[in-house]
Amino acid sequence: MASKFLGKSYKTFLNNFVSLTIFLFLWEILSITISSPFFPNPLDVWEAFLILLLKGDVEGISLTTHIVASVSRVLLGFGLAVVTGIPLGLVMGLKRVAYGSVRSILEPLRFIPPIAWIPLAIILLTGCARYMLIIWLGAFFPILLNTMAGVQTVNPTLIDVAKVFGADKKTIVVKTVFSNALPEVFAGMRIGLGVGWMCIVAAEMIGGEMAGLGWLILKYGELLNVSGMIVGMVLIGIIGLLMNETFLRVEKRVFRWRREVTL
Amino acid sequence: MTLSKCLEVEKVVKHYSHNGKHVHALDQVTFHVHKKEFICIIGPSGCGKSTLLKIIAGLDRPTSGEVRFQGETVKEPHPKISMVFQSFALFPWRTVLQNVEFGLETRGVPKAERRKIALELLELVGLKGYENAYPKELSGGMKQRVGIARALAVDPEIVLMDEAFSAIDEFTAQVLRNEVLELWEETEKTFILVTHNLTEALEMADRIIVLSTRPAKVKHEYHVSLKRPRNRSDSKFLRCQKELFNILKSELEHTIVRHKLKAIHEHFKIEDMESFQR
Repeated sequence: MASKFLGKSYKTFLNNFVSLTIFLFLWEILSITISSPFFPNPLDVWEAFLILLLKGDVEGISLTTHIVASVSRVLLGFGLAVVTGIPLGLVMGLKRVAYGSVRSILEPLRFIPPIAWIPLAIILLTGCARYMLIIWLGAFFPILLNTMAGVQTVNPTLIDVAKVFGADKKTIVVKTVFSNALPEVFAGMRIGLGVGWMCIVAAEMIGGEMAGLGWLILKYGELLNVSGMIVGMVLIGIIGLLMNETFLRVEKRVFRWRREVTL
Repeated sequence: MTLSKCLEVEKVVKHYSHNGKHVHALDQVTFHVHKKEFICIIGPSGCGKSTLLKIIAGLDRPTSGEVRFQGETVKEPHPKISMVFQSFALFPWRTVLQNVEFGLETRGVPKAERRKIALELLELVGLKGYENAYPKELSGGMKQRVGIARALAVDPEIVLMDEAFSAIDEFTAQVLRNEVLELWEETEKTFILVTHNLTEALEMADRIIVLSTRPAKVKHEYHVSLKRPRNRSDSKFLRCQKELFNILKSELEHTIVRHKLKAIHEHFKIEDMESFQR
């Protein structure tokens, strides 16, 4: 059984390796066909990556500094979204009246893309608070809505069980309703983190601070250094992937009691 | 023989509305249960058996009338009344052990002690070695064993069982019934089992409360005089079964008509209708 599973994941790995190779090969062919100084091939990008890694960017700021700047901003905003979204989601999931009463505010707010807030954030806020607002806006709603949905999936019989066995209101909320909602809450957090990560890059491009992957892309864009830009883009993609994968692993481990965690 | 009244169901009436429709579920239901009795409540499906059990459990309040446990009106779940559920209703995120410990946890029993009690009960219901399994890994019969262990863990006076054997395959159910009977004989606990299975009721109960169709009234109290252990193929058993069936018959006909009509609608089977008309 175990070897079969290993064999399957090995096969998936191999398949992905093959498609990645084909992708790079097609890219190479495309760059030969186009043959423009603004269309780098994979090796140019790799070279640009090495330079960035070893020598830092054109201003001597290291790649690590850019990455740390972006990731820490996301984590701060995300943390804020977690501590606001989960309790609010819990309350509104339990009390439909509460949700019904603020729906006219929440629902339109949800459809204003975080990126649309950037100019306002720039005018009203400074430094890290700017980014935190944008991330919070991106991460908050998935967390809030998933928590709310999760709260409502609780089987009423389980609440009866809790009552029969002497649970008070608090125990019912914590040990039945919230435990039941936890997988949804985690999924909301995973989605929220992803949305937040996408927003931070956009925010950094106009945020005006001298560090961050978004800012790196913009700077290299101004210098017409396409390879450097692509390095930034690929890094954003890879970091996003790593965050998502980490979350999925945690979910699989924490929610062993469930059948499976879907992608 | 003077038996102490353990539970008194006194003129319980229940009205409720379901999807905007008014339902008169229980009508002046009255019966008494003595300590260490095994009671079965039987009646046609949808007659309000489960509603009655919920009221006894303190999960629901009667519209009028009352349920008294040891002389006190039951207004909320009582620590000495526990319950086994039809669909097992285990907490899927808790291991077998944690499920059994739940009732002790809410009562503030220290961790070491509740673990000890839970492990003992798991051994009693034959689930030793499954302490750390999650409910999804268990079969229906095993899940219900956990449900029974969970109900016994809080050392109840009364164990309510809501169709506890109906969601399990018949073979496993038979084994479980015998085990529950053994448990009942070994302890001083009172069992109240709601069922629609006539044979099951005859096999287990000292006394069978027969409810009518909705609004449910106590149609009959049937004292089972058969000696234990009871044998389903015994001629006395069969005679009792026939007797009980005759009591239930008029009530059952309502549901039989409903079921037949449903079958006709579903399968358009003419022969069903013919056998029904005969």
